Amino acid sequence: MRVIWWLLTVVAVSTISIVLSEQRTLDPVPNISLTLASPLEGGIRDIANPLNDLFNGVIDRGDLVRENQELKETIALLEAQIAEQQDAQKRVLELEAALGVKQSRPDDQLLAANVIAEEPSGLKRAIAIDRGLSDGIDEGMVVLSKSGVLVGTVSRAYQDFAWIRLITDPDSAVNAQVNLAPGQPQSAPTASAGSATPAASPAPTPASEASPPSSVRGVAEGDLRRDIVLDLLPSDSEITEGTLVLTSGLGGNYPRGLLLGSVKALEQRPQSPFTRATVQPAAELSGLDTVLVLISFTPARLTAP
Amino acid sequence: MKYVVAFVLAYLLAILEVSFMSYFQVLGVTPSLVLMFVASWAVVRGQDEALVVVPLSGFIRDLVTSDPLGTSALALTPIVLLAAAVQLRSMDSDFLPTVVVVGAGSLAYGIISIVVLTAAGQSIPWLDGMLTAVLPLVVVNALFTPLIYLPVRWAGARSTTRILGPTRITSPL
Repeated sequence: MRVIWWLLTVVAVSTISIVLSEQRTLDPVPNISLTLASPLEGGIRDIANPLNDLFNGVIDRGDLVRENQELKETIALLEAQIAEQQDAQKRVLELEAALGVKQSRPDDQLLAANVIAEEPSGLKRAIAIDRGLSDGIDEGMVVLSKSGVLVGTVSRAYQDFAWIRLITDPDSAVNAQVNLAPGQPQSAPTASAGSATPAASPAPTPASEASPPSSVRGVAEGDLRRDIVLDLLPSDSEITEGTLVLTSGLGGNYPRGLLLGSVKALEQRPQSPFTRATVQPAAELSGLDTVLVLISFTPARLTAP
Repeated sequence: MKYVVAFVLAYLLAILEVSFMSYFQVLGVTPSLVLMFVASWAVVRGQDEALVVVPLSGFIRDLVTSDPLGTSALALTPIVLLAAAVQLRSMDSDFLPTVVVVGAGSLAYGIISIVVLTAAGQSIPWLDGMLTAVLPLVVVNALFTPLIYLPVRWAGARSTTRILGPTRITSPL
């Protein structure tokens, strides 16, 4: 009988607590807790990072040698393409200046934040950062990796801390586009599934000078099994593995042109009007230590009435 | 005093879980140190203490994760009942019962978490959640149980015969 009363009490208190938590009434409690825990969490993560490198180094040594060789080849390829891109960018700037066109993304203002925790449950993909409302962070803001790749959005902001929903979370959906370059071979190496190759993005496909690259749009949704699934692609789109996936800017919640990842596998469905693709995230989302919050971009969901 | 110790230990383990253990995922999941701790405590130290330690540890865990406050307290509840059920069979060692409670408790924890998060408006795919998170967590937590069980057993060594209430309860088998 005592256990039954205990059970009823715990269920009642927990349910009330969950409801209050969802209504944001209890927000100061996690904020205080994270304030107390963050120095310890930061210190522990500083220790764990090199240990993890050592652990992975021992386990994946064979893969590392092979991967190193592949990366060297990729670097050589990218260097050649960077030179080409620099020339193209210079011409774009000249044309923009001549035409008076406004840049789609003027100087981005980024706020660096340390990652202090990762959601451990496995049912969600989220990280906690040591910046919050007091630093100008608001829910819905876009979060990038140190290299400028899309990582996720701020899902919950406390006074001094915030939780970031990663792009691999099942609740995440990003309007994305795949740029196609007609007539150009896909020279980029393809990240194979299951290999130890990190999130090094395959090289971008050089745009044809004669014909501008076309693009197809879809929705990149987080998936617990496949990280990111790019859905709602036109079934006749000629996407190949290794093609880069970028944000399209549709909906106004993400700036246009942020790198998400590259196409890892295509799923053809004969009876479906749409094609689906599995996307390899460009950023290594596990073990992030620092992220950048894009505070100069206001998502549509924050400005909507 | 023992509850203060349990409170501090649960808090430290929750911090370790979100900061340290996330680097060392096995089968794609992070071992749940708090769950192993409360299961070990419930089996080794008995139901009376488990009634306090289990919900307390659940609330503490939610303070450092992104779950709504109260989710873990609710999801850890079956551990008390499982520990009591397992202890009905008198065994020489507490270790095997602890592993059983951790395994079954992890399954119950995962299912309740999915239900609560879905009710809270988050889109958790049930099949994927079970296959990629819950079932691997059952195996991983069971494998990691000695890591937590041994210190708890050492700290609170008690007779292997469990006492529930004023009278000893043994299995009729």
